[in-house]
Amino acid sequence: MKENQIAGFFKGIGNAFGLIGTAFSKGDWKTKLSFIIMGFGSIMRKQFARGIAFLAVEILYIWYIVSFGASYLVKFGSLGTVATHEEPAYFNGIEIGKTTVFGDNSFLILLFSVMTLFITVLFIIIWYINVKNNYESQLKLEAGKELPSNKQDLSSLLDHNFDKTLLSIPVLGVFMFVVVPIVFMILVAFTNYDATHQPPTNLFTWVGFENFKNLLSIGGSGFGSTFFTILIWTLVWAFFATFLNYFGGMAVAILINKKGIKFKKLWRTILVMTIAVPQFVSLLYIGKMFAKDGLINGYLMKWGWIDSAIPFWTDPLLAKITIIIINVWVGIPYVMLITTGLLMNIPEDLYESARIDGANPFQMFMKITLPYMLFVTGPYLLTSFTGNLNNFNVIYLLTTGSPLSTELTGGAGRTDLLITWLYKLTVNDTNYRMAAVIGIMVFVVTAVISLVVYNILPSVKDEEGFQ
Amino acid sequence: MTSKKKISNAITYVVLVLISIIWLFPFVCLVLQSFRSYNEMGGGMVDYIIPKKFSLDSYKFLFDPSSNFISWYKNTLIISVFVTIGQTIFVLCTSYVLSRMRFKGRELLMRFWLILGMFPGFLSMICLYFLLKQFGLTQEGAVPGLILISVASSGMGYYICKGFFDTLPKALDEAARIDGATRAQIFFGMIIPLAKPIIIYQALVAFMGPWCDYVFASYVASGTSASYNVAVGLQRWLFTGDYQGYFTRFCAGGVLVAVPVTILFMCLQKYYVEGVTGGAVKG
Amino acid sequence: MKKRVLALAMSTAMIASVLTACGGGKDTPAQDTNNAADNTAAANNTATDNNAPAENNAADNNAADNTAADNQTMDFGSGEIKIWVPDAVTGVTQTLADSFFSEHPEMAGYTVKIEPMGEGDAAGKVIMDVEAAPDLYAFAQDQMARLVAAGALTTISGDYATFVQDSNDSGAAAAAKVGNEVYAFPLTSDNGYFLYYDKSVVTDPSSLEQIVADCEAAGKNFYFDTGSWYQTAFFFGAGCELTFDTDEDGNFTGINNTYASENGLKAMKAIRQMSESKIYMDGSSVGDAVNWAAIVDGTWDSSSAKEVLGENYACAKLPSFTVDGETFQLGGFGGFKLMGVKPQAEAGKLVVCLELAKYLSDTDAQLTRFNEVGWGPSNVKAQEDPAVQGDEALSALREQLQYTVPQGQYPGEYWSEADALGETICGGNFKGYTDEQLMTELEAFAAKMDALVQ
Repeated sequence: MKENQIAGFFKGIGNAFGLIGTAFSKGDWKTKLSFIIMGFGSIMRKQFARGIAFLAVEILYIWYIVSFGASYLVKFGSLGTVATHEEPAYFNGIEIGKTTVFGDNSFLILLFSVMTLFITVLFIIIWYINVKNNYESQLKLEAGKELPSNKQDLSSLLDHNFDKTLLSIPVLGVFMFVVVPIVFMILVAFTNYDATHQPPTNLFTWVGFENFKNLLSIGGSGFGSTFFTILIWTLVWAFFATFLNYFGGMAVAILINKKGIKFKKLWRTILVMTIAVPQFVSLLYIGKMFAKDGLINGYLMKWGWIDSAIPFWTDPLLAKITIIIINVWVGIPYVMLITTGLLMNIPEDLYESARIDGANPFQMFMKITLPYMLFVTGPYLLTSFTGNLNNFNVIYLLTTGSPLSTELTGGAGRTDLLITWLYKLTVNDTNYRMAAVIGIMVFVVTAVISLVVYNILPSVKDEEGFQ
Repeated sequence: MTSKKKISNAITYVVLVLISIIWLFPFVCLVLQSFRSYNEMGGGMVDYIIPKKFSLDSYKFLFDPSSNFISWYKNTLIISVFVTIGQTIFVLCTSYVLSRMRFKGRELLMRFWLILGMFPGFLSMICLYFLLKQFGLTQEGAVPGLILISVASSGMGYYICKGFFDTLPKALDEAARIDGATRAQIFFGMIIPLAKPIIIYQALVAFMGPWCDYVFASYVASGTSASYNVAVGLQRWLFTGDYQGYFTRFCAGGVLVAVPVTILFMCLQKYYVEGVTGGAVKG
Repeated sequence: MKKRVLALAMSTAMIASVLTACGGGKDTPAQDTNNAADNTAAANNTATDNNAPAENNAADNNAADNTAADNQTMDFGSGEIKIWVPDAVTGVTQTLADSFFSEHPEMAGYTVKIEPMGEGDAAGKVIMDVEAAPDLYAFAQDQMARLVAAGALTTISGDYATFVQDSNDSGAAAAAKVGNEVYAFPLTSDNGYFLYYDKSVVTDPSSLEQIVADCEAAGKNFYFDTGSWYQTAFFFGAGCELTFDTDEDGNFTGINNTYASENGLKAMKAIRQMSESKIYMDGSSVGDAVNWAAIVDGTWDSSSAKEVLGENYACAKLPSFTVDGETFQLGGFGGFKLMGVKPQAEAGKLVVCLELAKYLSDTDAQLTRFNEVGWGPSNVKAQEDPAVQGDEALSALREQLQYTVPQGQYPGEYWSEADALGETICGGNFKGYTDEQLMTELEAFAAKMDALVQ
């Protein structure tokens, strides 16, 4: 299926070149001139709306490249060569210090180059559409058919072409504020952009795969052992965070759903508070509660239950356990909400006949409830797992990744996930080169897991499997 | 049989009460601390729950203009309202098209967005900052900047809404088209009124987002106090060393943030449940 | 099908117009350094050379040089000067800035905008985007090398350098330099730590063991941060050394490191011993401390400490600690807070910034801040003021300062690695380690430090 798509893509490109060739050899002078002056043919054929739109695109593109894009694109290879330097500054004839003469800004060169490249690709596509459109109009006229009028063109935007009207701005938004930044950061992984190569005062440049080597190099100041330690913890965490919450939430939902239990709505509302109250309030407070000098330890000691404070956050293993348990507090309400409705969908007679067969509640859960739930909520489990791989809030608000350890480099702590480590490298150390590499790794991990799980999910394989 | 059932029900009640206590405990503490008098330990941390002296000191401090809290609150409200409107529109447009219309590249687009979503958002923070800076939307302009970013990229969050549209029978559309209605007329006149529950869900989620955003918001505001939202402002009181004795004030601020969001959430809970349940099943 | 073209074309026109916003919307006046660096501005000027505005500036400067004779009419320019200082002194700074401009009407073209930003956070935010950074900002000394390496501080020369060197105590004057260049104006000499304690609990503040014992007896907590900045109290106190040499660009060129030694081992054992007490807490801020009778903290928390302890408030130099029968006085860093000026592209604004920074760090300003918020002056004249001399917390700090090492420049990795070392010890990870095992850890730490020097 995927390969077909890729093959189709290349076939499409091949066809496009073919069409350009035919249009150039068989086109009349209007079509040919449209190769250079976009929309020329359309205007000549009285399709002013689309003709002017094409022309406007061409003019805007040329204006953009000349006045803005080209000056960055030419420096893309080196990311700038003119260094910032200081010059003695004179004021009223006296030397008072040094003014700074700014040179090239590697960051902006890279950013605007990426943007210019994207715009150029887009322009080429539009140019191709322009050629195709002109040629097809020509063929239509030659065949004696009528061309759509301007009014038809415009009103189609609310009908057949309503998809373009609705999608254009959201797609553009994603391109501008998601795609461009991601491509930019992927490129940063191949540069030496860090605290000592910080624009505008310093230049940064391409370094090839050096950062990837650093990430995988074990020993010395290499990130290797830290990376693998954190990666393993990230996976362990995501596993527990997902499944403990899943079973916990389902258990609570079953409890509340139980026949004869009153105030169902009240119990649910109480639990749902955790979703409604912003996490930066609740989790920051809970983090303090579990501190060595916090409420929990304070009371336990006052009551004489423990002699010395439990090191919830300072002991590496205990910190991991605590964080998983607190995450149960965060996660159970979501699962409870989701599963409540689904549990009620299970036909009651299934249980009834099981009961007649003498099954106990646990057996009924294992044989009826769980298979059904796993089947229906398979996609949820997958998104929840990948979400937990990147669960920044819970980790950062509770521990900020602490406790730190002499065995880890790059400022990482024992409870850091890849995502919080990435954040720390970005914000505390401005080590963008390594942050970018780790970001790519997070993507690889997420993508691999999604792909594998997606392919074994029963509900994807066989939509009608469970009846 | 009935006595056995009674015992089992009694146990269930005990468990539910215990769960409720655990779940409410942090919030009760938070509220109590927010009413602690500033004269008691200078507003710092304590290891007991019930304050020795109740007062409104912390709230008075928050409503004093010098604390900037009111302007942070206002910023958050502005961001929330605009993000709610923008995101809801964007998501509705995208989901409708992806659910109802078939065009070349549809599959490709959906797959591409799925892959994009696997990149961690923090990765591109620095780049977004400089992009916004080109438009003058950082620091003093952080509020519109945050709105722009949240809205612009929201098309990718179409899954749940599209899932909802998929459940609306296609026959409706077809009947209307036979009657000569255009796509736009179907969208505005028929689909949107039917989509009320999912619109409310989408709006609720969008509205709650900005109240929790402290990472990117702090990045974009970059030290301009007037552009902070409540999350950035409040978490600075706890995370940065210069604010001694701001703990009770943090609690009070937290309460003021939590109350409206919680009330709104409770009122619209029904729609939220519909949304997440639908989303969980369809993925 | 074909009509799709139109929509696509229109949407492109839309991006293009969005893009033009970033190409053309930047010609606002009152741009400072941005103009030169900002290539969009260059695009506006239709000059292909990005440096054109900056070069024009340089040309202006030369012109100023040539017409030095009739310079009284020289214009300082106008615009906004942005300042970052900690929240506690925003009000004081505003007042001082106002009086500066009323004394210098010729510079009144500038307005001042003050934002609260802690000295610890400022550097990170400044480095992220130097262009958008404030023109003046206060920062703690440990951030200095990082700021210089990122090009976020202008060099201070001539009369201003002389002012910095002559009017401050020797430690502060040295702290303002990286290599041989002066980079900042000292604001305080109080960036050190000492002991606040509860008179009714602690009987003898001169011995660490006694403090711990008294607190244990009273069931009160004892706070001593073992993070990078505070843990040197043990290591330096035991006689270890760890200093770095830098060149003018903020690169680290040399190291003097004796952590992996018998003395280092003793310091480490002392930290471990202290952290094993059940009343020991790892922390250094009064606001976060709970139920405490003693805390190692700095002058910035003196008012909170007074508030909490009430009439039992007392402070003293750091105690001594005993390990393996040997007693050492706790040492540590004597540090400074500084005000830096961001690199400027215009000479006129540079003068105003330098003058303002000088004013804000001069005797009167330091005394004002002392009176308002209790910051200990670095200015020698201000230090002689009787009120400063009589301040309890500052006296404790002064007493402690004779045991401390003036804080020099340290690479960022030192701070994070040493934080990790402290948390590792306090987390009980070295519990029951033999001397040999501890020595291995110390050697590993020392080796990491050595590796930071190219």
